[in-house]
Amino acid sequence: MMKPRQSAEVAMRVYVDESLCQGHTLCAMTAPDVFHLREDDGHSYVAVTEFTPEVMQAARRAASTCPEQAIVIEES
Amino acid sequence: MTDIVDRHFEDGRIVVDFDQHSLEYQARSAELSHELRGKCPVTWSNNYGGFWVVTALDEVAEMYKHPELFSAVKDPDPTSNFRGIQIPDANPQVSSGFLEMDPPEQLDFRRVLNPFLSPAAITKWEPLVHDFTHACLDEVIEAGRFDFIDDLVNIVPAVLTMAMLGVPLSEWDMYCEPMHAMVYTPPDSPDLPRVQQMGMEMVGGLIQNVAAARANPRPGIIKALVEAEVNGQPLDDFGILGTVFLVVGGGLDTTTAFTSSVWQWLFQNPTEKARLLADHSLLDLATEEFLRFFTPAQGDARTVTQDCEVAGYKFSEGDRVLLSFAMPNRDPKHFPDPDSVVLDRFPNRHAAFGLGNHRCIGSNIARMQFKTIMWETLQRIPEYTIDDDGVDRYETIGVINGYKHMPTSFAPGVRQGPGFAETIATWQSRLDDEAAAER
Repeated sequence: MMKPRQSAEVAMRVYVDESLCQGHTLCAMTAPDVFHLREDDGHSYVAVTEFTPEVMQAARRAASTCPEQAIVIEES
Repeated sequence: MTDIVDRHFEDGRIVVDFDQHSLEYQARSAELSHELRGKCPVTWSNNYGGFWVVTALDEVAEMYKHPELFSAVKDPDPTSNFRGIQIPDANPQVSSGFLEMDPPEQLDFRRVLNPFLSPAAITKWEPLVHDFTHACLDEVIEAGRFDFIDDLVNIVPAVLTMAMLGVPLSEWDMYCEPMHAMVYTPPDSPDLPRVQQMGMEMVGGLIQNVAAARANPRPGIIKALVEAEVNGQPLDDFGILGTVFLVVGGGLDTTTAFTSSVWQWLFQNPTEKARLLADHSLLDLATEEFLRFFTPAQGDARTVTQDCEVAGYKFSEGDRVLLSFAMPNRDPKHFPDPDSVVLDRFPNRHAAFGLGNHRCIGSNIARMQFKTIMWETLQRIPEYTIDDDGVDRYETIGVINGYKHMPTSFAPGVRQGPGFAETIATWQSRLDDEAAAER
């Protein structure tokens, strides 16, 4: 599905664990360009496909305020 | 964590004399949360037949992730340990709808309501909240005094709830008083039978509205419930009523309680009020901080379904557990300086809307209402005085941390628009036109 962008050092991506997200919406408040809310239930999904350093920084910020800790940051 | 378990739980439990309905909890719940958490994140109270009380955020969050171990179910058989989400279970005959169910059944009900309560869906109601806020203010603005609760925040959420249910807006006051009384009346109050009677009368009104919705469906939540299928079966009246009751309860009391708490705090902290008024962009973060600090719904109970160990703590089948929202919101591990309101606090992963599969389904509408009512009211009445002698807090805040009355005075202003009755008529006519267009 999402294709991680390769940087010189590490591949990074972010996704929302749907089994944990309960629709608190704080991620979309914090990083509205990265996280969008589904029309039907307001649960979050990652709306970008390019995981630039700016996106990752915004995603980390959102992850820190997620009540369910449902945002997964992968750096490999 | 393992150390705490070994020290305290294998050969006993830390017993505390904790009662969330007590005057002590009403007066100093934050200090109590620190005392309890300091002893252990999971302690045992012998009150109300005995229950665990969980006060730290990590532990509460972990437990709410396991509905298969911590059940919300209320068993209609009053001798069963499965007594639902309140300790004690003051109304064994009345279930709080899908709040007292577990997945997957609970999620089926949420799927019916979600389309009405998602962030996308609620934007259409913001003008209604705006208009009724100003209508209420126009009724009092020339007098220079009002009761913030009776004249404003009891009314606007109630009218909005009627609109969303699809019942006549004028019925808002049928539900207001019984709903508030049911949450602030302590379980041992001599007034309880009267309050239960009022509750039954309100249910009678709801039954009529469900029947009306079957005969002549109007757009809204009741119509959606009447037409819904859960497990391939239409809902019976009991299932519909339980859900409507929950929408009314969630819609009418929590937002009222929360907004009142903030109104009082802003009066007591004029510098912070001025800071907020000068910077609308602060409102989002400030709202989350107010939610953390003034957590309206104090927490829910669960029943342990089997012997288990969760977050390092051992529980036995049938144990009752109070998983607090308010006390973990003061957990210094996650909230530095937890007993101060920091308007721009971040991160702020508070538990005010609950955690896990029962996250407050109305959280989006609650935020929208709070922000709209508070902001619009502060524009009209930026300076005010609350008469402390007239402030009447809920006798128990064990369910909802709220107030009954909050008399407020201010420099008289001028009316800006139509009053309340005319606004009801205007909006009713608009909603009727929408309903006709949908047929």
